[in-house]
Formats: sequence, C-alpha cells, structure tokens
Amino acid sequence: MLQDLISAKKALFEPGAHTELRMQRNRKRNVMLLAGDIVENNRSDIAGVSARVYRGGRYGFSSMAECSAEAAERVLRAAAENAAFMNAHAPGRKPALPSLPAGRVVCEAIHDPAQRVYTDFARALDNYIAEHCPKLVSRRIYATEDSMEKLLVVSDGTDAHTVLPRSYVYVYMTAETDAGTPVELYHAFGGERTFDLNFTDPAAYFQDIDRLYERLMQKREGVYADAGLRTVILGGELTGILSHEAVGHTVEADLVLGGSVAGRCLGKPVASELVSLTDFAHTAFGKRCPLPVFVDDEGTLARDAKIIENGILTGYMHSRESAQRFGMEPCGNARAWLFSDEPLIRMRNTAIHPGKDKLEDMIASVDEGYYLISTNNGQADTTGEFMFGITMGYEIKNGKLGRALLDTTISGVAFEMLKTVDMVSDQVEWESSGFCGKKQPMPVGLGGPALRCKVMIGGR
Amino acid sequence: MEKLEQLAQRVLDAAKESGAQFAQCVVKETETHEFNMLGNEFSLMRTLFDRSVELSVLKDRRKGTISVNSFEDEALRKAVADCIASAESAEPDDAWEFDSEPRDESFTEGPLVCDAEGLFARTRELAEDIAARHPRIIIEELYTEHKATRTVLKNSAGVSCRTAEGGYNFTLTYSAHEGEKASSFYYGETKLADLDKPFIDCALIEWELSSVERQVDSKPLEGKFTGTVLLAPGALFELVLSTVNWNFVGENALIDGTSIWKDKLGQQVADEQLSLRFAPRAADVVAGERFTDEGYRAEDYDIIRDGRLTGFALTQYGANKTGGVRGGCTGWCPYPHVPAGGKSLDEIISGIERGVLVMRFSGGEPSPSGEFSGVAKNSFLIENGKLVTALTETMISGCIADMLKTVRAISSEVLRDGTCSLPFIAFDGVTVSGK
Repeated sequence: MLQDLISAKKALFEPGAHTELRMQRNRKRNVMLLAGDIVENNRSDIAGVSARVYRGGRYGFSSMAECSAEAAERVLRAAAENAAFMNAHAPGRKPALPSLPAGRVVCEAIHDPAQRVYTDFARALDNYIAEHCPKLVSRRIYATEDSMEKLLVVSDGTDAHTVLPRSYVYVYMTAETDAGTPVELYHAFGGERTFDLNFTDPAAYFQDIDRLYERLMQKREGVYADAGLRTVILGGELTGILSHEAVGHTVEADLVLGGSVAGRCLGKPVASELVSLTDFAHTAFGKRCPLPVFVDDEGTLARDAKIIENGILTGYMHSRESAQRFGMEPCGNARAWLFSDEPLIRMRNTAIHPGKDKLEDMIASVDEGYYLISTNNGQADTTGEFMFGITMGYEIKNGKLGRALLDTTISGVAFEMLKTVDMVSDQVEWESSGFCGKKQPMPVGLGGPALRCKVMIGGR
Repeated sequence: MEKLEQLAQRVLDAAKESGAQFAQCVVKETETHEFNMLGNEFSLMRTLFDRSVELSVLKDRRKGTISVNSFEDEALRKAVADCIASAESAEPDDAWEFDSEPRDESFTEGPLVCDAEGLFARTRELAEDIAARHPRIIIEELYTEHKATRTVLKNSAGVSCRTAEGGYNFTLTYSAHEGEKASSFYYGETKLADLDKPFIDCALIEWELSSVERQVDSKPLEGKFTGTVLLAPGALFELVLSTVNWNFVGENALIDGTSIWKDKLGQQVADEQLSLRFAPRAADVVAGERFTDEGYRAEDYDIIRDGRLTGFALTQYGANKTGGVRGGCTGWCPYPHVPAGGKSLDEIISGIERGVLVMRFSGGEPSPSGEFSGVAKNSFLIENGKLVTALTETMISGCIADMLKTVRAISSEVLRDGTCSLPFIAFDGVTVSGK
C-alpha cells in the first residue's frame, strides 16, 4: 500500500483556494494466449503524485511520476502557479466552491498475485477449449487485472485512502460458416477483486465456456437481421450500455454545458413511466455495486445520482464546480484514472431499475422481432443518438426464439427510444469489464433489466 | 539524456545478472504543458512530469515484460525480479526475436521547450475564430498541449538509440446548435511541429467546422437504397483502414488464421486506384516512430500498392510465427498514407447520382470477414451531384473487402494532421438505410 507522504502537506495549501493533493498507484497485469501461445505477458506499475488548485473559477494542475514528500511540494507549487497563469490570462471571476464537511474514508489493502497465477489459469481454460470445442478455427484467452489505489487529501471535504481492484478473463472464439466466412463471439468473466480471489477454479467456468461455444455454433448458421425499425427485447447487457452511453453521457454536466440534449430536458418526460435510471455510488438494489465508489477525487462523499425517475429527467452528474454552477449537489462523480489525470465528471455504476415482467413473458409477447443479448461496443452522441454493435441475438417469431443472428448494429435516439419501452424485466444484469473513454479511460459498471422496445436494426 | 542512458544500462545489467539471456530497456522522460477549454470557456492548465522504464527479457526462450515509472533503485530491482518471474511463468517460444544488429543512433526533432504564452494565444485565437466565423458552433472540449519526450532504447545485443522530440497538438470536440436544433458532435486531433499558423487554418479544421455548422438542420433518411458512400478522411480511417489493419493484415488475424487476406500477398485486393502505406518517416508526420517495439529502426512500408497486397502489419514475432516479413513500424494503423487522386471533392460529389457523404462512422466492430453496419454520423445526402440535406439516424452497411474493389474516385484534397495523409474516397454499392 502507498505510504502516506502527503497528509502533512495540508499545511502548505493556499488559504482561500480549493486544493486537492493525490498520490496514486495504478497496476495492470495481463496475459494473452493466442492459438495456445502466450503472446502477451505484461506487468505495469504506474505511481506518482498530483495537485489541483481552484481559484477564481480556474484550475491549475500538476503531476510528477514520483511518490515523495518533495514531489508533493513541487506539484502543489506548480498547480498554484498554473491557476495563477489562467486567472491572469483568462480571469474566471467566480466565487469559491461551497465547502463540504470533513471526513475520512479508508478501504482494505489488496495483495498482488504472481504472474504465474494469470498464466496458469489462462492455460487451463485454453486447454479445456482446445479439447472440447472442436469446430473452432481460432481461440484467444485474455487474463487481466487492473487496480487504482489512491491517497487523497483535500482542503475541505473527505480525505481518503481507497483501492479499486478488478479482474477478468476474456474468452474469444472464432468458427467458420459452411461458406468459409469467419464468425466470432466472446465473453468476459470476472468483476471487482484481485485475480486470485475471482479465479480460484478453472472448472467453475467450463459450463459457461460450453454455452459460449454452443451459441457460436448457432451463430455460424445465423441469418442477417431484417433492417428497419423493429420490436426487440434488449437483454440486460444491452440495457446497461444504453444506460451508460446513450443516457449517462448526455447527463454529465460538462457535456450538458457543451450543448447535450439533456440540457433542455430537465424536469421533462424523456422515457416511458416504466423507466427509472440511477448512477449508483456503491450499493444498488440492496447489493454491493460491481465497482463501488465511496469518495471521489474532489473529496465528495459518494452517493447515488438519480437521473430519471418514472420517465422524468430529474438530475445530472456533477463535479463540485458544475454543481455550484447548476445549483445542485455533487454526488461524487469527479474521478481521475492516473495520478497524472485531473478529475473529470464520470459515471460509476449506471443502471435502469428492474420492473415486474418475466423475461420469458416478454419474449412470448413478441410476434415478430429480435432478442438481442451481447454487444462488442457502443457509442452515443450528445444528441442521444446511439449505436451498439450486436454480436449475439435471436429472431423471435410468434413468441418463440428462432434462428441466431449474424453480427449487426442497432441505433436510435435515446430519449425517443426509451419512450417506446412497454415491458421491463425483474432481473438486473451487470457488466463491468470495459473502460469508458472520455479524455481518460475509466472503469465503470453498467447494467439493467431486459427491456421491450423499438429500435432501428441494421441488416444487409 | 546521459542519466537515462545510464539508467537503461543499469537495468539491462541487472536483468542479465538475474539470468536473462536477452534484455531490452526503454527509458522515457516526458514534460507536458496543456490548456483545457470546456463549453467555450477556459477551465484548466496542466503541467505534467512523467517518466517510464519498460523492460523486456528473454529467458530460456520465454518472454516477460514490465513497465514502471519509478527510477528508484529498490523499485527497479523489484521490476527486474518481477519481469524475470513473468518470463519464467510463460512457455518457451522460439518466435521471440529482437534486433540483434548493433547500432548507435540519436535523433532530435521539433521544439523541446514549450512556448506557453504562444500556445495559450493560439488556443484563445481558435476559440475566437470559431465564435466569429461559426457562431452556431459550441466547443464541447478543446485540449491544446506541448509535449517534449526524451527516450533511450538499449538492448543487450548492442542496439542503442536516443530520441529527443517535441511538438504541439490540439484536440477539438464540438457541435452546432440553433434553438432546440443540434448537430451530432464532431472531433479531431492535430499534431504540429510549430505554432506558425492559426489552428483554424490547420488540417481540414475550417471545412469540418463549416460542414458541422450546416448539419444543425438534419433529418432522418426515408427508406433504403444502394448507392455511393463518400468517406471523409476521418471516416475512412475509422471504418476502412482500421478494418484493413486489424482484420485483414493485422498480426493476430494472421497468427490465428482468421484473416481473409492471409494467402493473398501479391494479389489484387483493392481497386488499382488505391494504395496504402504506413509511413512514420514521411515529411508530413510530426515526431513519428523512430524504432519499433522490438528495437528495429522504424521505416515506411507499403500495405497495398495500386490495389495489390504488398505487406502485412507483422512484428518480427508475428513474422516468425507466420513465415511472413516484418513490417517497418509498429502501432495501431500507424501513420497511414493514401495517395491523393485526381478529382476535387466537388467534382466527385457532382458525379454521384445517389449517395451519402460521411464524416464520422459510429458502428459495431466489423466481423473478421469485413461485414459492417453502423450510423453515418455528420453526414449529408447526395442526390444528382449535390449535397441535398444533412442526415441523422441513417445507417450504412456492407463489406469492407468488397468496398475496396469498388472505388469510384479519390479526392485531390487530403487531411494532413501530423499523423496521416488521407483523402476522401467514394465507394459504390453500399447499402444506406433510414427509418
């Protein structure tokens, strides 16, 4: 764990300015097996200290790749100089940030598994696939862990020593259609915690691997979707990416200031009454979130940010500065990826709330449409227009699942598409393996129940 | 530089003493100065002092790699031990290979000291130029920076390289607004060797701003047709070149055999108008790669020449695995250069009966065979040789491998943003669908 060399530097904070001083370590471990060979076998440890000073509506920031008391002093001085430069060249003339009550949050330490833990586990899964999935033309296993450990002291608010580890195994499989066209499918297993705690027994994943292979075999005989506006059941993974990409980003206050569609929708209906959406801090629906955040990098104690309540847009996600500007309360959304990154408004665990419907009833209710299960990427616009790649799905004909789909894409405009939601399942599915990209990467959780709705689907 | 060199040598010596038969160490120091604007307003100034040490070792034909950013003795000792342990956990693989021809090289390029006042002035000027010339544009984010990096690469076979490189860059994200109407957002990054020109006059910034401003009035396409898709340089990179790089000529696709071009070296894979070169040393590239991840001197090389497949994006490891030839540089679709064509953009548009001009593509990852579908962002409908209207909620779909053979025209205008040189290219036979 990081040694606290920065708390004592609070005495150097400039009076009248909001100051954050952060020491941070990011570690990453990864192993990739491609066709049975280890093609990546990497470890990375990045650590350092940074300071950010807010005065008169302008921020100054500085960082050094060194964890020492001297480095802390240097970045404090440089950050103050940068804030002064900005105020001299582009005066902000804004009041000081409202102060927050003092506090301190400390999380448990984590340990560091040896590289052999990753290589052995990846090898065990690869051996199983090689033996039990005979029709593959290619297989890849990617075992990875990343973690952020942060020591934070602030001029006002909550000081913290936190750590957020997560680890995953990605399994990629490729087969060929009878015509020789490659088709691919993958799944990521894992979640919060270090690799050795998440992955103790390779055999525990064999059943999931069998199911992935079975789906790929269905997909190699799959069909193109019929392009156009269609009734679909979005599985929980798709609902999660919709919550994050198509809604979440538009309600980040910095993007609202940049002209996002949410800026003119506050207090208005943006979804069916069946839809509520929250950016959860650390606990959701009575359980620990996939990637819990207890305090953000501005010293704000984290709590849930309610975004949509029964179809009405009720709030945005904020930093302390944007919350002051909008006259709202910050909920702890200001997060930084590396020690050398400044806090930005980021999501944490963004999800649509579950409803009362059963998934099987939802499928049975569709005469002609699609059940969409897996995605490999998603993007959205500040207008709310979104696009998600679909890697696994099925036709629905007369209330029953039909043939599998080949890769396709769905698109729509979030605040229009969410108004077409007329059934919501009672089970929430979470996903947390990816990174959100917004100047810096950031681990986030996203999730939701299955939704029945209408979207545009691409075909051929 | 001497300090970095001594440190690299120290790490190499420690790796050899720990049992590595081969070691390569890359030590880097970077200083960054950055200005940020959010929502048309200055928000932040950053100064970053970074460094890193990356060590790769081969022990008994097993490879391990570690990167840390501490220069402290204890941290480096631990890094060497962890790297050796990583290698020991891997399987032996004869394909690992680094440059073993001794050489000693030094390069210096670009301004190594930041002109902070000059950078701030250019940043403010860009915001003022946009406000004056394009009043409907809102800057969502603008980051401008100067970065200076000193790098030393040394390996135990006698390769020794030093680079000192500096340059500016800016990343601009914006959208157009009028009342309740708004365009899709658009973004681009530009690298510069100096601050000589106003930022708005660099790359295709002015054309892009004007186009996005016109997209404030956009509407969904009705129906579906097969027509011409004219890809602007950014969309060409996102959709076509990325797929070529990853799915068709990339190392993973070749090693696992899923590339549909794996047996097509020397064959026609694209229209003869089309060539593609990865060119880190081209004159229009700012601070391009000097040495590859395996220590070889970085060089320009052809992927496609006059429509014929001439090379794969392989490292020496990938070349050894597949029996192929190593590519000249490393990275993700690195420094792509596509030669300009003979027609202007206006001439190309005037010859299109029905199609779309696409500035940005937002789509699912194309399948290994190159099948794709996605949203044509920041796009215009073309009918009877004219841009008719800006579009929203419009999808395009097709197959990249097929599209490459249906090139209708390549523009004389090119995007030069310090990392690439890319024209507009029109492809026939693409499906365009709306509501």
